[in-house]
Amino acid sequence: MRQSPTGPKVLVALGVALLLAGSWWGLTKAPGEVYMGEVQRIMYVHVPTAWNAMLALSFAFVCALCFLLTNSWKWDSRLEAAMEMGVVLSLLLCIQGSIWAKPTWGVWWDWDPRLTTTAVMVFAFGGILALRAFVDDPARRAVWSAVACIVAFVDVPIVYFSVKWWNSLHQAQSTPQTVSSAFHLPLRVNAFGILFLWTGLVALRSRVASLRLRNELGPPLPDSKPAVTGAAPIAGGAS
Amino acid sequence: MSGVVQGGWEFVAGAYIVTAAILSAYATSVFLRYRTEQRRAAAEAEREARK
Repeated sequence: MRQSPTGPKVLVALGVALLLAGSWWGLTKAPGEVYMGEVQRIMYVHVPTAWNAMLALSFAFVCALCFLLTNSWKWDSRLEAAMEMGVVLSLLLCIQGSIWAKPTWGVWWDWDPRLTTTAVMVFAFGGILALRAFVDDPARRAVWSAVACIVAFVDVPIVYFSVKWWNSLHQAQSTPQTVSSAFHLPLRVNAFGILFLWTGLVALRSRVASLRLRNELGPPLPDSKPAVTGAAPIAGGAS
Repeated sequence: MSGVVQGGWEFVAGAYIVTAAILSAYATSVFLRYRTEQRRAAAEAEREARK
């Protein structure tokens, strides 16, 4: 059945509008920080990107679990979409962080615990996407990438807690109590902007994955067992 | 040395431009891939209907 992309498009449009509004507020209305001055304005895109990268990869983890528990193709499509979005956001996070690091730390990159674990996260999930591209059998590809995603997800909480567990050059997590209230609005607006943007894009990207899967499997779609010898049974069609 | 980062607008502009460029490029690629897959699915359906 052909689904209308109106919902995802509305989410993307809402996300873009919020991102533009939040960035405009952060660049023109919010005050500079006492020590970091104007450079601190990078926080309004860097921190929301970090939150949403972890959220997207956490959603990928949930999709991997749901796929292994239900054997439903739709979770494999969502897994592919969420992992791709998570890798894009994580890569963007590293680039933004490097741009912030140069004027504040004096270097573009440092092998500090937070940065190293984030780099591992990008390469681990990027590697799974590469693995998916090299496996032709849809059933094996789905099972292997779901298992690999669960293994790779171990790094996500390590990234989050790395600044607490180890002596890190990167600052610890900010909370509403540790951040001036003047910075709250652009931070939150951009966080919701990126959230709406990635949920819309993941919805659309999972439809791309479903259409490709439908083409690979060919009609009629298998209800219980794929036509691959020795592969795990997959329930439900590609939606 | 005041201990305060002076200037830095070029880094701020760089971060926002990179963010806009990467998110726009990815969003465009998703929309293009969706359109391509929809066209292919429609062509397949038409071919099946002719059989």
